[in-house]
Amino acid sequence: MKRAMITLYLIPRNVGVVLLRVYRAVISPLYGDVCRYYPSCSAYALGAVQEYGLIVGSFFAARRVLRCHPWAEGGIDDVPLKRHRRFGVTSFGFVVPLATERADPHVWTS
Amino acid sequence: MDLIGTILWPLKWVVELLLVAFHWLFSNLGMGYNDGITWVLSIVGLVLVVRAALIPIFVKQIKSQRKMLEVAPQLKKIQDKYKGKKDQFSREAMSRETMELYKRTGTNPLASCLPLLLQMPIFFALFSVLNDAQRSNAGVGPLNQALATSFGNANLFGVAPLHDTFAQQWGLWTGGQDFNLSVMIIAATMVVLMTASQFITQLQIVSKNMSPETKASPMFKQQKIMLYLLPLVFAFSGVAFPLGVMFYWLTSNIWTMAQQFLVIRNMPTPGSEAAKAREERLARKGKLIATDGDVIVVDEAKKPAQRQQPVGKARAKKQTGPKK
Repeated sequence: MKRAMITLYLIPRNVGVVLLRVYRAVISPLYGDVCRYYPSCSAYALGAVQEYGLIVGSFFAARRVLRCHPWAEGGIDDVPLKRHRRFGVTSFGFVVPLATERADPHVWTS
Repeated sequence: MDLIGTILWPLKWVVELLLVAFHWLFSNLGMGYNDGITWVLSIVGLVLVVRAALIPIFVKQIKSQRKMLEVAPQLKKIQDKYKGKKDQFSREAMSRETMELYKRTGTNPLASCLPLLLQMPIFFALFSVLNDAQRSNAGVGPLNQALATSFGNANLFGVAPLHDTFAQQWGLWTGGQDFNLSVMIIAATMVVLMTASQFITQLQIVSKNMSPETKASPMFKQQKIMLYLLPLVFAFSGVAFPLGVMFYWLTSNIWTMAQQFLVIRNMPTPGSEAAKAREERLARKGKLIATDGDVIVVDEAKKPAQRQQPVGKARAKKQTGPKK
């Protein structure tokens, strides 16, 4: 029951994950490697939405896109991770509730 | 006014100002006030201004690409470290180290997506200006009613209105109504030209300006597929855009192609095919400077154009002496 509730709660961010995966598969290659940061803006957005959900994650992503301009220093700029990770991530990128018997939250992270 | 309209308003204003200014210039130079060609040249002028405004960003990129030569040995070290490691973790670690090197040395060669993001609203602004002009609606600023009517009704080559789209004419044709064949022919020609220019631009980069390491990455394979899918994207979207917008796009594409050509020729990516070609070119002229400041000269076996005449010992000695 709890699992179902969590799955429901995770729907918005997983919709975001699908959209970002489509963007990264179809639109990103059109202009190739241009980002001055690692991970690139869209990868950052994906990570942020997975970690913080659709709304807060989008906010993070928007801030990152604004940071990324030709005069920025660039470099490594990871999504700040939460201290307690409550969810797992499938290889596709979907955020899923952790199976209760699994103690290590990173078990599904590819 | 809706949200997007509010955001686009200042851009539309600038786009209109540039269009009207160029139109004023060309019609004062003796071109027809209502002629399609006058308006088309105004659109071309708009592109030139927009792309010229983006040059500083481009120059900055080129400068850091020049600096790349200095860090090339360090870059090579990283690439050697991960040579042959194709798994995701190694690739990721390699990207990380490369990016760190860029930051440390201030040589980031990437432009960020801002230049693209900047152009998109301009494109949409032009689209909506043309769309309004099509209904002979006045613009938001400098494009007044009279100019809007002139723009909307301007015929290219006297036959094809700038606001018409391929799709619209196709609809009329299949609906059995009167349609304008020349609009379709011009639109189709432009789709072909646009595809060709985009294709050449991409092909130039892929075939000449990529290091072998980039070519081995999975991202590159994806990009290669896109190279062949792109013409389809163009064909579909090209059909739906008014001729005037297509002219903007086409001119912009041609600019990109020429710019890319110059950059690949003069500031190629270190380690790429183009870089080798440039080094050879420079070495032939004795202008290649190594990282330690030495001039590198490539000895090329010159093909003798003429058979060497057999010479006597005394003369041979003379010939090996100092040349003038």
